[in-house]
This record gives sequence, C-alpha cells and structure tokens, in this order.
Amino acid sequence: MLIVRKRALQLLIVLLLLSVATFTLMKLASGDPVKTILQADELLVTAADEERLRAELGFDRPLIVQYGQWMWKLLQLDLGKSYVKGKPVWQELMERLPATLQLTAGGMAVLLLISVPLGIAAARYPGRWPDLLSRALALVGAAVPGFWLGLMLVYLFAFKLQLLPSMGKGSLTQIILPSFTLGFPLAAVYARLLRAGLLQSLSHDYIRAARGRGLPEWRVVSLHAFRAALLPVVTVFGMGIGSLLGGAVVVETLFSWPGLGSMAVEAIFSRDYPVIQGYVLLTGVFAVTINLLVDLSYSIIDPRIRYEKGVSL
Amino acid sequence: MKPSLLRSKTLALLLAGVVSLSAAGCAEAPTQAPTQADDKKVTLLYTFKTGSLDPNNGSTPLRAGITETLVKLGSDLSLEGWLAEKWEATNETTWVFTIREGVTFHDGTKADAAAVKASFERGIAASEALAGALKIESMEAAGQTLTIKTTEPYPALPSELVNPSASVISVQAEQKMGKEAFNNAPVGTGPFKVKKFEPNVEVQLERYDGYWAGTPKLKEASFKFNEDANVRALALQSNEADIVYNLPAESIDAIKSNKSLRIESVPGLRAHYILYNYQRPLLQDLKVRQAMNYLLDRESIAKDIMLGNAVPANGPFNSKLPFGSKDPADGADLAKAKALLADAGYTAGADGKLLKDGKPLALELITYKGRPELPLIAQMLQSDAAKAGITVTIKTVENVDAYLKDNKDWDMATYSNLTAPRGDGGYFLNSAFTPEGSLNASKISITRLSDMIKQLNATSDTAGRVKLTQEAVSVINQEVPHSYGVYPNIIVGVNNRIEGWTPGGEEYYMLTHTMDVK
Repeated sequence: MLIVRKRALQLLIVLLLLSVATFTLMKLASGDPVKTILQADELLVTAADEERLRAELGFDRPLIVQYGQWMWKLLQLDLGKSYVKGKPVWQELMERLPATLQLTAGGMAVLLLISVPLGIAAARYPGRWPDLLSRALALVGAAVPGFWLGLMLVYLFAFKLQLLPSMGKGSLTQIILPSFTLGFPLAAVYARLLRAGLLQSLSHDYIRAARGRGLPEWRVVSLHAFRAALLPVVTVFGMGIGSLLGGAVVVETLFSWPGLGSMAVEAIFSRDYPVIQGYVLLTGVFAVTINLLVDLSYSIIDPRIRYEKGVSL
Repeated sequence: MKPSLLRSKTLALLLAGVVSLSAAGCAEAPTQAPTQADDKKVTLLYTFKTGSLDPNNGSTPLRAGITETLVKLGSDLSLEGWLAEKWEATNETTWVFTIREGVTFHDGTKADAAAVKASFERGIAASEALAGALKIESMEAAGQTLTIKTTEPYPALPSELVNPSASVISVQAEQKMGKEAFNNAPVGTGPFKVKKFEPNVEVQLERYDGYWAGTPKLKEASFKFNEDANVRALALQSNEADIVYNLPAESIDAIKSNKSLRIESVPGLRAHYILYNYQRPLLQDLKVRQAMNYLLDRESIAKDIMLGNAVPANGPFNSKLPFGSKDPADGADLAKAKALLADAGYTAGADGKLLKDGKPLALELITYKGRPELPLIAQMLQSDAAKAGITVTIKTVENVDAYLKDNKDWDMATYSNLTAPRGDGGYFLNSAFTPEGSLNASKISITRLSDMIKQLNATSDTAGRVKLTQEAVSVINQEVPHSYGVYPNIIVGVNNRIEGWTPGGEEYYMLTHTMDVK
C-alpha cells in the first residue's frame, strides 16, 4: 500500500497548490460578490452600503490574510458559507454532487455502449465498414461541439419526434439526451483507441498461440486481446472521468441539469469565493483519487505490473 | 475464424444499446407533455434558475404565485394594494398599512398585521439587501393595522414593498417546519402552494383552495428553469412548456408561423443606454455629449438589432409610466451632431477625423456580453460616430460594474438597468445620479438634479412624486449624462390554450389565479 500513502501525500500537495492558484486568480480578476449580495432585484443601496459589506466580508484585508483565514477554517474542516446564498459550502456541494454523479454514470454508459462494440468491430475488420464507421464517428465526435450536438438532439428527439423530454431531472427519460451529449464525443475517440490497442495485441504471438489451440475467435478477441488492449484506454478513461465529474458545464446548462458544473459557473459569475474554492478542492480530490484507482487497476489488467518496492514494470 | 459470429455479436451489442435507449424514451415520454385540455395544468419556463425558494432572498416564490406582497404593480405599472388594502403616511417617518381581511396562508392561519410584522422581521434578518431597502426602525401590529416607523423620512417605502423579497410568509409555519424545509416549500398567501421543489430544475405547484381572491382556475402548475434560449424556444414548440420567457429574437418567426402558439411582446421596465464618464475632460463638454446623443440611432437599434422588440427611448423611464417623458425620442441626426461638434471647437483634419487643439476626438466605449444586443449597439455607435469624424474604440469586459468602478480611463459604456423596478423613479434617480449611488460609477453630479432628488426623497404623495420625477427627467435630457437608447420588450411565447393571462411588464406576477387553459 506504499502507492496509496505516496498518492495521499501527493494529493495534499496538489490541493494546496490548487487552492493557492485559484484563490490568487479569483482575487486578481475584477469584481467581488458585494454587488450580487446587495443588488438582488435592484434594491436601493448606496456605495457606502457596498463599502461596509466589503469590509465586513474582509475584502479590504491583504490577500495573504484572506487566504490564511480561509485555510485556518479549512484545517478545521470548515469550507465556509456561500456569500450569495448564505448556505454552508459543504452542503451546497453535497446537494449538487448526486446530479453530477448520475450524469457521469449516464455519460460513461453511453461511452461504453458505443466504444466497446465499435472498437472491437473496427479492429476485427480493419478497412471494412465497421472500421470506416468508427473512423467517421471519431471525426464527428472530435469535431462537433457539445452545445451543438445537444441542441440537435433536443431538436430531433424532443421537438421533431417528441420522444424524449428536452430538459429537467427526475425520470429516466430525462437523463438520456444529456448522457448522450456527454458520452458520444468521448465514445468516438475511445473506439479508435481501443481499435489501435486491439490491432497491436492481436498481432502478438500469444494470440496466434491461442488461435492455434483452437479457441473460439470471440474468446481470443474479447478475453485475451481485449484485456491487453485496455491499458491505454483505461489511462485515458481515468483522465476523462475526472473531467466528467468536474461537471459538464455546457451540458448542464442546456438540459437544466443541476450539477456541480453549473454551480461553479454561477459561483464564478457572482465571485462567490468560498463556493469556487470548495468546488476546486472537491474536483481536485476526485481527479487524484481516480488517477490512483486507474494506476491500481493496471496490475489487475496486466498482472506483470506490480507496485511493490523496487519491483515495477 | 468465425467472422459472422463476431459480426452478429457486435451488431447485437450495438442494437441492444440503441434499443434500450429508445425503449426507455418511449416508456415515459408521453407523461412529459401536458397537452390534455382537462387536466388544467400549465408549465411555465423561465430563464433564471434558483437553488432555494427562500422568499426573502429571491423572486421565484412570488413569480410562481406562492407568495404575495403588501403592494403590487398594476397592469399600467402604477402602485396598487395587494395584501394591503390601503396605506397612508401619518408623518414623514410613519406609515400605516391596512391589511386585507380574509387572507390566509397555505397552512390555513390568518395573515393579519401581526403575521405580516413577523414576516418582515424574518425578512430583515434573512436579507441584508432587504433590510437596507426597507429602512424599518420599528413596527406595531393591531388587528389588521400595521404601523411602520422608518429610520429616516422614506416616501418610497410603499414602492419598495413591491419587491419580491418583501414577500409575506407564515413565520409560524417556518417554526414548525424548520428553516431548511421552509426554504424548499415556503408557506405564503398566493394562489399556489409548493408540491415538490427540485432545486435549479423545477417547482411543482398545486392550487390553494382557500385563496382569498377566489379559487385558482388551474389545478396544478410547473415552474421550470432553463438558461439556454434555444432550448426554451424548442420546449415551447414541442408543447413541453406552455409559457416561455425571454425567447431569442431569431426564434420568433418560427413561433409566429405555428398556429397553436403566439408571441406576447410587452414593454418592460428596463432601459439600454450609453453612460458618459464625467471625469473625462472630453466628455465634460455638454456639446460633445449632445453630439453623441444625436449619433445614437434609436430607430435602427429597435428595428435592426432588437428586431422590432423594443421602443426608442426618450429618457430613463418607459414613456408608458406615469412619470416617463412624453416627448418623442431623439432621432439620429448627423448634421446636428456635426454642428454641435463644430460649436465645441472641433475641426476635421485631412483624414476627416475631428481635432481640437491638435488632439483627436477619440473615445473608448466599454461594453459587455451579458446582454447580447449591447455589443451590437456599441458597434453601431462606433460606425455612426466615425461618420462624424469621431474615433470610437470598443473594449469588451467581463464584469462591467467592477470595470467601471475600478478604472478611471473609460469614456463611455453601454449599460442596461431596470430603471423603475417597482413602478417608482426614486430608485434609479438615487442610484444613478447621487454621489453615493451604486450605479453612479462616473460620479455624475448635477446640482439642479441633486436638489430635485432631495426634494423627491422628502415627498410622499404620488402626484407630487410623479411631477418631480418628470422634472428630473427633463433636466437629465438637457444635461445628457446618459443617452437612452431603447426600452427592450419582454418577449414571451405562449401556447394558445392559455386563457385569462397576459405577461406584465414588471416580470413579477407570472402564475396567477385567473390563468386558465382551454
């Protein structure tokens, strides 16, 4: 478990650096949340009211002092309260997280449903129609912006065919379009990655040996070659899932999906520093943890990889 | 090798994916479209989402018909009683409100003066902004009479009570439910009560049978949020929503051509305008400001940029308001602009650009993308100013309020404000033209105007306030601290099955007890 301890230490360093960078960048950008707090619905306030609140929130103190205060609270496991909503940041994050997890799961399901069969078919029949289809989809997936794909899906499935709802969260049908918008562009790329990995592993001697032993072709491909081809795919998958969990801003806005991404954008626009910091920390933890899990999964996928002291491949 | 086996397996997998996706879609889709005429349910789609229904920190409870205020804006945008039957000022810091008889909260308890007092106390504690806006020192409740003492002479109090944050709620219910549960399902006096709230997605409502003004015609309503204008337009066209606010201008033709839908375009309480920086020497010259004012082509902004969904402006306040200017809006007039600039001492150089004492007339115009039409207005002004020999450079900033406040070297800015959010001009005049005003980034100070605002702040009778506001508008139009461009309309798409309802210019009262479906 050396790697876990090592990664935990790395996590702390990454989070510390992240928090310093976000804090500094947010403060360097112009604006503060005072306007949002006081100006809701054009209530009559004076510049003096704004100054008073600015002082109350401590924005007139030096940056390092503001950061120190925030860090001191964090050490007591207190992420602070949202300036705009007055709610504890932790509560806000936990309220939004389930929606993001659902959407991530939906996106991943679409990704796997498309990329695995397509990748296998493309590798099995290089140059033939499954390969050409996967190539065309990869091109489309890489080129089409998420907001456009989302709008087209809404146009087709909600407006023209009236099969699926265009927005909202609650029923199973409502997760289909956002999941597809999120998963499709990645699926197209993964299918190509899987194809490349499979083609390489299919050319290995052990595959020839397996075929020589008379194993059925589906077993050769899906058990032997597939496993060996997974390594690069899992690496990219780990990076992808990290960014998905961080919140898919465009998709969440289009489909009124109340996840972390749209929360972060709102917080940035209103300069709600505690919420932004909380969001960055949470996504930082996700990213590092998922990368750790990906690293650990290598030894399961390829038993030659071991994370023991001095013995790693 | 058995390629056929693999092929069929792959295809089967692909098919399974597609089928499971579409089967799930078919299974539940029909319940999404509330198009049956007899279920009396309406879905309204609004732009700005909310994660909380705290009635003192947001507008959604009022917009969704859950809560009500003491005073409201009528269809002509003038103040009228709502939960308060009448009100009067007994001296300059004392107001007496008479609360309507027979009003009950959703939990059946009576909404009398004591309940309103408790509600305001809750609001003041919950919202710093509301506390600052109401300036309440103390309150006394006796039966249906609520006496409010303000910290200073405050004639604008009835108008400030129109604000959704001043909604009246049952504090008793909050104590029973707990704050968090209450902020997810506030108990008010409105025609609808909360059935279920999905934060940032939807508020599901059902009618309140004990509503004081008569049983609501709808059985249920859904108040949804979506920030993407194109998706909102598609939701209206696919009958997923019956009423959709803030449609993109380019979707209007498609909606108009659909016989089951209509567009309601009503004048709002907002003005798009150009703000001049009084700290910059070039713009301290009244003639330069007047010339810029003549270069702003209001007709073209309304027609070409806003596609007909705006009215040329003739002052800060929509001319439909009682205190709005009744004069026609200034038309674009290049000759007059040139004459004014010549009067101001500017002469054209060899390249046609204006110079004075060897220095060019070059101005920086700040704009922002928060309202997509503003950068277009900036470009139009830039091109029209060039015809007069003025060089305008455009700078787009992210946070316009912060930029104008933190920087001193800008000359002009495109800006947009609700100028009479609660049917009274006092808010905008105080915010934009007094030295301490929060919208007065360039520290505009016009003695004549400041005196009028002081007088307005001490006048409580409506007729007197209207007269003083009109006089202030007249001074503003002479001194040109701003050039008012257009009053944008509120564009709402409505399914024709909706009856007994039209959108108001105030954008507050959206779900009502008179709203019905065919």
